[in-house]
Amino acid sequence: MRPAKTMKIELKVNGKRERREVPPSRTLLELVREDLGLTGTKAYCHSGICGACTVLLDGAAVSSCSLLAAQADGAEVTTIEGLAADGALHPIQQAFIDHFGFQCGYCTPGMVLLTKALLDEVPEPTREDIVRYMGGNICRCTGYAGILASVEAAAKALSTKD
Amino acid sequence: MCAAQSRKRDPIVGTSMPTLEAADKVTGATLYVGDLVVPGMAHAKVLRSPLPHARVVSIDAAEARALPGVVCVLTRDEVAAAGIEPVYGFVYRDAPLVALDKVRYQGDIVAVVVADDLATAEAALELIEVDYDELEPVMDVDAALADGAPLVHDTFSPIAPELRPVEGTNVCHRASIAWGDVEAGFREADRIYEDTFSAPPVQHCALDLHACVAAIEDGAITVWTNCQSPFPLQRELQRIFKMDARVIVPYVGGGFGSKSRDRLECVVTAAAQLAGRPVRLVLTQEETFLTFIRPAYRGTIKTGVKDDGTIVARHVRFTVDVGAYAISGARSANNTLKVATGPYRIPNALVECDAVYTNKPPSAPYRGLPTTQHTMAYETQLDRIARDLGIDPVELRMRNLVVDGDVHITGDLLRSTHAKECLEAAAAGIDWGKPSERPDKPAKLRGKGVSCTIKYTLTPPTRLSENGAEIELREDGLFEVRIGTVNIGQGSDTTMAQIAADGLGVGLDRIRVVHSDTALVPVDSSTTASRSTYHMGNAVLDAAAKLTADVLAVASQLLERDAASLALGPDGVEADDGESISYEELVRRSGGPLTALGECVVGGTYTAPDGTEYPIASTFWSFASAAAEVEVDTDTGEVRVLRMGAASNVGKAVNPDSVRTQLEGGVGMELGPTLFEQLVWDEGGQLLTAALMDYPLPTMETSPLYRPEIIEHPLEGGPFGAKGMGEIGSVITPAAVLNAVYDATGVMFHEVPLLPHKVLAALEGRK
Ligand code: FES
Ligand code: FES
Repeated sequence: MRPAKTMKIELKVNGKRERREVPPSRTLLELVREDLGLTGTKAYCHSGICGACTVLLDGAAVSSCSLLAAQADGAEVTTIEGLAADGALHPIQQAFIDHFGFQCGYCTPGMVLLTKALLDEVPEPTREDIVRYMGGNICRCTGYAGILASVEAAAKALSTKD
Repeated sequence: MCAAQSRKRDPIVGTSMPTLEAADKVTGATLYVGDLVVPGMAHAKVLRSPLPHARVVSIDAAEARALPGVVCVLTRDEVAAAGIEPVYGFVYRDAPLVALDKVRYQGDIVAVVVADDLATAEAALELIEVDYDELEPVMDVDAALADGAPLVHDTFSPIAPELRPVEGTNVCHRASIAWGDVEAGFREADRIYEDTFSAPPVQHCALDLHACVAAIEDGAITVWTNCQSPFPLQRELQRIFKMDARVIVPYVGGGFGSKSRDRLECVVTAAAQLAGRPVRLVLTQEETFLTFIRPAYRGTIKTGVKDDGTIVARHVRFTVDVGAYAISGARSANNTLKVATGPYRIPNALVECDAVYTNKPPSAPYRGLPTTQHTMAYETQLDRIARDLGIDPVELRMRNLVVDGDVHITGDLLRSTHAKECLEAAAAGIDWGKPSERPDKPAKLRGKGVSCTIKYTLTPPTRLSENGAEIELREDGLFEVRIGTVNIGQGSDTTMAQIAADGLGVGLDRIRVVHSDTALVPVDSSTTASRSTYHMGNAVLDAAAKLTADVLAVASQLLERDAASLALGPDGVEADDGESISYEELVRRSGGPLTALGECVVGGTYTAPDGTEYPIASTFWSFASAAAEVEVDTDTGEVRVLRMGAASNVGKAVNPDSVRTQLEGGVGMELGPTLFEQLVWDEGGQLLTAALMDYPLPTMETSPLYRPEIIEHPLEGGPFGAKGMGEIGSVITPAAVLNAVYDATGVMFHEVPLLPHKVLAALEGRK
């Protein structure tokens, strides 16, 4: 039933080089969660809407459910597991903890990575910037006020850092 | 309370803190059911009925079974051959594991394919041939209640004693409650108002998809699931399979009621039994829309008032569309009878409800059951009354809201109410009384509205403890707190750790929490209905008191000191004179861990001041208010919520920021069903809004981003005075928005969602 053909891809995931043979239909989400066992990346809609599956592809936030693994060939992928450097929490992660940016935490990996992409692109975002950018990901628990506060705090923490 | 034993230490209860699992959640380390891998597990996919109502003539799965990689296919034949009970449901037993004679909604489970991998299982679904004999569906309550309507079920099988079906109809439960003399009340009234309010079904859209893994080993079942009722599920598994069962619920990514009852676990266990190996099923988002939904609601409310606004009588009749199976919906409808008249002093009341079978997916509570819809009905009507009588809406509420010492329509004496304070705080959040700022174009209108509510918690009819909590002082010197509460995002581990720490008088660093594993924790009825903080909190406190006594008794022997001179300290038991023994050493020398089991006894009857005995309808009552300021664009029909205020009397906030987030989240979530969410079926019973593409959810862009107020008036009997509050945020939201739209436009909407085309049509009608 499954196509016999596979493709060879090579990419960097959280700084580690990975060489894999995957069926052409394999999504980046499947590659990350199932082949690499990085289950911090979540999924809900499988259709590019909710953002639970957000990862960074060469620094840009993408929905991994809607990309083929093959499209990440040669790229650098960061998942939530790759954000905390040597066990210390990234300032964005710390901000989400300090400002109650989540409850169940299911949207959190995606939200944190989306924040990273935002702040890399716009280090000092206005509230409107944040609302527009973060509006791409869905959270069902918080009502978003805590997430907004977390992103604002993270922006501040990162800008005072450098 | 044994906290008296502790010394000079700031309380932990009442202090905001991140949840114990917070670091794992931001690093992606937290494992949800869908992340679990059990060695040797196979993957399941479900074949669902394409028709809303049909007889299943035959199922041919031979070709699917022959596909390489397919392990087995479970249909009604395999269920019969296995000799297991084919129908489940611990409140209403009417849901088959897989379709038996009939399918009852589009999406009903017909067969389960188990394969080595998901792709093969999916491919095999296509190879199963099912022959259906179509039956006429009943797609809504009107159709289901019509004379001669096709019956969704031929027989009824309620389990909970309060459920009363009406033979020969689709009514799976009919009930009413009365208080005073409603007819006499209406005769006394100066004016009488009657309104009908309706709300369509929506889905909870918890991001953590329904999932479970089932394994059978050495004649015992283990199920990992994200169901909110592990112990009732355990009993169901034992009944159906006549085997021992263990249910493990790891962290859950939200449920909001969609996981309050089991739905997949029994059928996946049957598949695992047939497969002879562990089986995992993770639903897709589309399938969750076919699993549990919030029911369609319609309520007609008739209210009699005096000219000064005093309510003298209220009659509420409502129907709840429970869908194809009443496993959850029938009792939910029944439970909300007691709050359908609102948080007001009402001397004469009658509330009647019909819970009705239709050919929709089964219904489940949705963050506050139909209490939300009741609140929409009575609160929007109240604003109509306010305008008619020329009384300010807040003032009209102030005249009628209950206060401590009032008696509710159930006969319950109300305590820790402070409903008026909630209303004042919520109204202040949007500067009630001050006119709105002028919008940026004349076609836009702004307005303000408020709402108030009362909510109950699940309460047993007789006096008993429905849940226990265990605390064990272990060899490593930690106090292990074992609770059945499911950590679904509300942060229950942390709340219970805080309560345990203060109960024992030790630091949080001495506490470890073990949750929701039927093999490791004492029985708990469920994590629903805002019940955990009160019930589990009390059980934890009880266990802490008992364990403290035991630990001090042991220490008293070991230290040769009077127990009264001893207290639990940060690292061990300390005596007045400075002598001490570490917890580790105490356990070692006492011959092993020390354990205490706590409980929380609730229910039974209460004796009113006049001597009458009433069954306690709710162990505690919750009160909250919301206020909304909206902007209506009369060119486009678009409604925007500009500002929200909300307040709830939570008794005592154990973890205030966590409580605030939960209240805020409830409000934010409910704006979806208020403004744009709805599930729609076509006449043939096909769900049109099947995927997120056709079903928008609130985002940061559509949310008012406000912070609610917590009001704390300790509840006698609550742990440190706390009540539950997990659901009340959503309950108060729609009514406040509808009232604000009424204020802005003069049009009262009697249904949600406020879709732009409907708003435009209504505004046209106004002209
Ligand atoms: S799972 Fe990828 S966007 Fe929803
Ligand atoms: S925290 Fe639960 S979905 Fe965002």
